[in-house]
Amino acid sequence: MARCCGKTMEITLKDDHGIKRVALVGNPNVGKSVLFNALTGAYVTVSNYPGTSVEVSRGNAVIEGQAWQVIDTPGMYSIHTITEEERVAREILLNETPDVVVHVLDARNLERMLAMTIQLIEAELPVILVVNIMDEAERIGLKIDLDLLQERLGIPVIGAATARKRGLDEIRRAMRNYCCSDENPRRFNYSRLLEQDLTEVAGLMRADYVLSKRTLALLLLQQDEEISALVQHLEGEEGYAKVAEKVREIAFQRRESFHLNLSLERKEIVRKLIQGVFSSPEKRVITWSEKLSNLAVRPLTGIPLLFIILYFGLYKFVGVFGAGTVVDLLEGKLFEEIFNPWITGVVKGIVPWAVIQELFVGEYGIITLGIRYAVGIILPIVATFFIFFSFLEDTGYFPRLALLVDRVFKRFGMSGRAVIPMVLGFGCDTMATMVTRTLETVRERIIATLLLSLAIPCSAQIGVILALLSKAPGALAVWGVSMLLLFIVVGLLAARLLPGEAPMFYMELPPMRLPQLSNVFTKTYTRMQWYFLEILPLFVLASVLLWLGKITSFFEKMVDALTPVMALLGLPKETAVAFIFGFFRRDYGAAGLYDLQTKGLLNARQLTVAAVTLTLFIPCVAQFLIMKKERGWKVASAIGVFVSLIAFGSGYLLNQLLLTTGILS
Amino acid sequence: MKCGFCGHEFEESDGKQGCGGCSSGCHSIHCPRCNYKNPLEPKFLKKIKGLWQEKQKKQ
Repeated sequence: MARCCGKTMEITLKDDHGIKRVALVGNPNVGKSVLFNALTGAYVTVSNYPGTSVEVSRGNAVIEGQAWQVIDTPGMYSIHTITEEERVAREILLNETPDVVVHVLDARNLERMLAMTIQLIEAELPVILVVNIMDEAERIGLKIDLDLLQERLGIPVIGAATARKRGLDEIRRAMRNYCCSDENPRRFNYSRLLEQDLTEVAGLMRADYVLSKRTLALLLLQQDEEISALVQHLEGEEGYAKVAEKVREIAFQRRESFHLNLSLERKEIVRKLIQGVFSSPEKRVITWSEKLSNLAVRPLTGIPLLFIILYFGLYKFVGVFGAGTVVDLLEGKLFEEIFNPWITGVVKGIVPWAVIQELFVGEYGIITLGIRYAVGIILPIVATFFIFFSFLEDTGYFPRLALLVDRVFKRFGMSGRAVIPMVLGFGCDTMATMVTRTLETVRERIIATLLLSLAIPCSAQIGVILALLSKAPGALAVWGVSMLLLFIVVGLLAARLLPGEAPMFYMELPPMRLPQLSNVFTKTYTRMQWYFLEILPLFVLASVLLWLGKITSFFEKMVDALTPVMALLGLPKETAVAFIFGFFRRDYGAAGLYDLQTKGLLNARQLTVAAVTLTLFIPCVAQFLIMKKERGWKVASAIGVFVSLIAFGSGYLLNQLLLTTGILS
Repeated sequence: MKCGFCGHEFEESDGKQGCGGCSSGCHSIHCPRCNYKNPLEPKFLKKIKGLWQEKQKKQ
């Protein structure tokens, strides 16, 4: 045992080889990994932290003759943890008792990030503060008096720009000399009332802890379950009962404002701490990207902005231009007028058997239907959609959208994090269903999977539908309102039927920027390439199956079986074909609908009912298989049945509503 | 590479790949921080960029 930083703790000789341990902690994106790589070089292992899916990197380094193990902890915002990553980071501090904790923060966000430094100091951990990204801070005119900050914090403070290798030697030196340091960590006082609470709770704890009792008392008052379990384990039942009773008593007295008060008090401590330490240029120029970012996350401006983006990006660019102009050119002119008549003549000239001719150039032929759908209809739509998607992605808009919808999504039992699979679902629902596995709770994953299979149309489907419905006045509005209404109703119902807490969500916002043409091109090209490679064989296979169905009359029987359902929806029997196509792939079904409309088989009401039903219709085969893989047979089957009932039920009701009111007639 | 969603910069080797969902092979990398699915840059584009960067360095 040795004495360091005013606290008795086990230091050095953590293992047989006398290797010291340093943990790098801090918010995400502050340069921890760059520092980790600079300290460790190539000798790195990455493994999941036991019992979690969170990866932790560890590496070895020799610093001034001393061997060190360097641990790159997951990003954390506070010692009071919320996410699994934060829990792992704190577990490392608690269980691996590092000899030095290097807190890396971003100089440009000093005021916000210092709150965690204060928590680490009051936890009596051996902290070194690295004020990183100093180069960028200096570039925008920020001035930081590091000596004064060191004096006020009572710990070593180093200015660095690790990406430019600035400050690395000072960090190494500070680590090596840490325990010889004369620095004494100082105490940051809260209000008299809170101090009294902390003293009372801490005074009841008898065991030895890695974190200070003052910090533990604060965490207990914040209802931290893991810390409660730790205190219970170390104090024993009797000792813990006293602590828990006191915590309950205080929590009851301060039930309305404890978290807020603590946060405000910490903010005030930081404000006083940086007085004279930190100065920014008198006239802070608010850049256009900051202005736009603020507009995007505030509901009052964010929602209109979202509608503007959807109108110009989805409706005008993907729907009108991609699915209208380009499809007319490719499918209408190139395929229907030039390529298909030519290839039909060629195949019929080479192949004498009518049944084989039918396979390649018949009604459901591989070339005349499969290739035409893939190249003539789907390709231009997904191309324009992916251009729009990659453009928006490169601006940094998506994380702002996540923040904007967080409050609404919470009502559906999800957090803003669910925006990731929802947004990806507009590209392809199958791949988005896989991404739902990244959501925090099982409840959230099931709700997201359900909403994806029900109310999120994929890129090709949305493109075709926008193009078709925009030709009938009011049809697009009816379709849009129906989708939105069902999304909301099913989301609210699902949140009620699957009770539980919506997980907390917050994230660091990357800056908004003008998209780079090269990025947009690369991302669009890559997405289109895999999409095309993915769909082409499936479209060919679907054509073969349809051909088989046709020559065996099985397809005809399926159409006949669906005819009463189509009649209930007020649709002609030919529409059943689009639904059968839709089960193979959603985009294939949408292309089928496009064909029906061009043949003049559907009026505005029927087109709208068919579009709504097809959008809601059961997930395609691929999505269903992924649902089964991710959520299991029971959940996948239940979602499949539920979605089918909702699709046809909604189609029926919508048809009745349109007939009764005369809208769209 | 840089995550298209959260802006996190990471090495391709640090991202998660190959969940087996796509029949035509994996073309994406999941961000280790937010799990967003980022498209993987095709090899030929990487080569072109590499050649361009080399040319820039020489100049």
